[in-house]
Amino acid sequence: MRRRGAVNPVQIIWMLVTLILALMAIWPLLYMLGTAFKPGSEVFEPTLLPSHATLENFAYVLTEAPFWRYLLNTLFVASVVTVVALFFHTMAGYALARLRFPGREGIFLAMFSTFLISTPVIIVPLFILVRTLGMLNSYTGLIVPAIFHAFGIFLLRQYYLSLPRELEEAALVDGAGYWRIYWSVVLPMSRPIIAALAILFFLANWNSFLWPMTITADSDLQVVQVAIASFQSQYSASWNYIMAASTIVAAPMLVLFLVFQRQIMASIKTSGLK
Amino acid sequence: MTRLSGKHREWLAGYLFVLPDALGLALFIALPAAMALFVSVYSFDAFGSFTFVGATHYRRMLVDPLFWTSLRVTVTFAVTLVPLLYVTGLGLALLVQRTNLYNAIMRSMLFAPQMVSLVVIGLVWQLLVVDKIGILPQMLVAVGIEPVSFLGDPRFALLTVTLVCIWFLMGFYMLVFLGGLHDIPQEYYEAAQLDGAGRIARFWYITLPLLRPTSFFVLLVSTVSAVAGAHAFDLVYVMTKGGPANATSLLMMYIYQQAFQFGDFGYASAMSAVLVAMLAVLSGLFFLLTRGGRFQYA
Amino acid sequence: MASLTIQNVSKNYGSVAALRDISIDIDDGEFLALVGPSGCGKSTLLRIIAGLEPMTSGAVSIGGDVVNDLPPKARDVAMVFQNYALYPHMTVAENMAFALKLRRLPRDQIEKKVRTTSQLLDLDGMLKRYPAQLSGGERQRVAMGRAIVRDPSVFLFDEPLSNLDAKLRVQLRAEIKELHQRLRTTTVYVTHDQVEAMTMADRIVVMRDGNIEQTGAPIDLYDDPRNLFVAGFIGSPAMNIVPGEIDDGTFVARGGFRIAAFRPETPRDPGQVVCCVRPHKVTLGETGTPASVVVVEPLGGETQVIVRLGETSVVCLLRDRTTLRPGDAVRLMIDAADLYFFDRDSGQRIDCN
Repeated sequence: MRRRGAVNPVQIIWMLVTLILALMAIWPLLYMLGTAFKPGSEVFEPTLLPSHATLENFAYVLTEAPFWRYLLNTLFVASVVTVVALFFHTMAGYALARLRFPGREGIFLAMFSTFLISTPVIIVPLFILVRTLGMLNSYTGLIVPAIFHAFGIFLLRQYYLSLPRELEEAALVDGAGYWRIYWSVVLPMSRPIIAALAILFFLANWNSFLWPMTITADSDLQVVQVAIASFQSQYSASWNYIMAASTIVAAPMLVLFLVFQRQIMASIKTSGLK
Repeated sequence: MTRLSGKHREWLAGYLFVLPDALGLALFIALPAAMALFVSVYSFDAFGSFTFVGATHYRRMLVDPLFWTSLRVTVTFAVTLVPLLYVTGLGLALLVQRTNLYNAIMRSMLFAPQMVSLVVIGLVWQLLVVDKIGILPQMLVAVGIEPVSFLGDPRFALLTVTLVCIWFLMGFYMLVFLGGLHDIPQEYYEAAQLDGAGRIARFWYITLPLLRPTSFFVLLVSTVSAVAGAHAFDLVYVMTKGGPANATSLLMMYIYQQAFQFGDFGYASAMSAVLVAMLAVLSGLFFLLTRGGRFQYA
Repeated sequence: MASLTIQNVSKNYGSVAALRDISIDIDDGEFLALVGPSGCGKSTLLRIIAGLEPMTSGAVSIGGDVVNDLPPKARDVAMVFQNYALYPHMTVAENMAFALKLRRLPRDQIEKKVRTTSQLLDLDGMLKRYPAQLSGGERQRVAMGRAIVRDPSVFLFDEPLSNLDAKLRVQLRAEIKELHQRLRTTTVYVTHDQVEAMTMADRIVVMRDGNIEQTGAPIDLYDDPRNLFVAGFIGSPAMNIVPGEIDDGTFVARGGFRIAAFRPETPRDPGQVVCCVRPHKVTLGETGTPASVVVVEPLGGETQVIVRLGETSVVCLLRDRTTLRPGDAVRLMIDAADLYFFDRDSGQRIDCN
């Protein structure tokens, strides 16, 4: 008799295959973590765990370079981009989903057509543009161009299309203006998707490398990704330091993932075009 | 000022709500894309002044062997990465498709690399494959295989970068495929079971056809990110900077070097224009092949 | 074609019992309806027969062979799903041909079978269309076509008409019945609509909470309900239910009126009972129990009158037109032979002389 939940040998084999693949996925990350605690002499020992664990690598990285400054820069830039982007994108997404005005579909299509244009493709003209606007080597230059992306607008519009209209209509009948409806009805209703997008935006900007590297030369403005990339050329063979720096940079995101994995993965699952 | 009618108030609200994003996208994405064409017919000097040079940069491309190498590397990278990524993503999704605690943990583990920046990923993998003393060469020796120089040998560098890229991206595409799989109503599988379809027939006749919208999304996005994505750029920049012997010199890498190492914005822009054209042709092709991206059978 | 036997089938989801020890014998060629409110286990039972759901204990046999361990495809059953489950990426013809194609039948045979079946169901004009291009009724017919073309031993229907509007439902009800009379394939038909069950089935199984309440021919269930649940479930408009108690051979309804007809076959203690009567067995006349009209609902051919009788209201179905108005005083006449009595606590029928 077959029973629900019972596992047969074939299933066990597939479960093992999955486990091996999953271990392969996280093993390099664990290795990074392990090496960060290894003294320099142990780096190429094939063991995951250090035999003489040390915090010296972290101490070195945090004192020898203005690493705190880089972390604060990154935190500031990523936070501002996330908040402003969510503000603009919810407004645009709501209008594109709900308000009726001439040219709405055209505007949406035009916005959506920028979806496939990635930073590397336009890096040269974008650099020239930002230089012309006098935003080189500034927080403005780091932040402003990073705000605009069709992906978030698209997802929010989809979300608003799926929400019931009644609440907004009730507010409209009660005499609320569009700004009031957006602020007091639409935004509170979008809390789940805003939370998910906030994590994704913050993650993308924390991990962003190409743009910050291109437009900042000033060390005071350096973000962590650029910092550890240049770390590599400075301490080319001191892998224990590089891995300690990498761990410091990656750890916040991995912790974020541990806490919000359900929301993060759910939001990506629904992001496929439909 | 006269009072606006209800309809016009809605219009005004709509335009004002869309304005910030519309302006931003126009200024920081659409305008630069258009500028690429414009800039490509000018020559820049170190002081920021420029002169019109016409099609000079495009002619230079024709005879620049490094351009052609980069183009070849880009195409090789894309045609290796995209199918492998498709198969890995779909395969993983099928493995962890059923909802239970075990699969939830597996999904999280498979997705975890996505949280880490490509800079860190590039550094970690560089450490793992360091010639002779890296952990991967050591493991190969342990099982009796003579290890190659993963990043030092022009024959293997691009493959190594490709595999690391797949390792990084597979969790993301797994989730996208999972979303697609969960959208297929269970009833179709039950009907097919009663119609006599086994596992393979169900995959072939139900899963694959009904996954077409997801497949379209995956193929399009993965192709674009292989040709012009920041992920691939970051990884190559950190791991090889285009070397050894230009073996991993993706076109976007070469463009970046021309612009920011040699200051040749005009030539770099001309190549960007070619990249944009490639992307436009690619997406056009995809839309044609999928009847305009429509999947409703109506 | 084959007989179908369900033997002591139970199904538990964790500690929740969805089916408790169900046994049903279905003859070759019989049309059996499983009917009951949602959650009664009828769909689960159907899915167990199909092999889509494992059972906790018991056995299912088709044509005398136990099929418990056979996958759905080896059971030779066809099923029509509630949402039809037509493959959206295949045309009508491809949908119908799919099972035959999987069986590697030669192409010309497949074509012939699809053609005959589509003619049978009036589908020949739409063979090249996709399901999304069909109306609800057409999809329903294609779903049946897909089942028929395979010529299976058993047909399973899972609420196939519940997504259609009322008029179409009546039409397709007749079509399915006619089709069964022509093909004579053993059929199990799940529905929550007792009218469907009454009009189509040879035999009805009434289920509730994973148990069989009563099994029998439609008319037998109607005339002779074994318990209060079946009495209330079968028949439209529903049975009038009047709670009360017995006092010395007389039924005393709550609120006062009495019916001096209660003579149980087996002597029983005075206690709480329920008295039932079908609406069309209540007539209004010169003599009888006084009551007052509350609502008059003309249905065209008949008139439904709701009257207040003490604390309860009673529905009467009058065959004649009436000039009655709310507030009018009337007298109810009920033939004692038309009364059913049930024990209030157990719900079991109390047989009377």
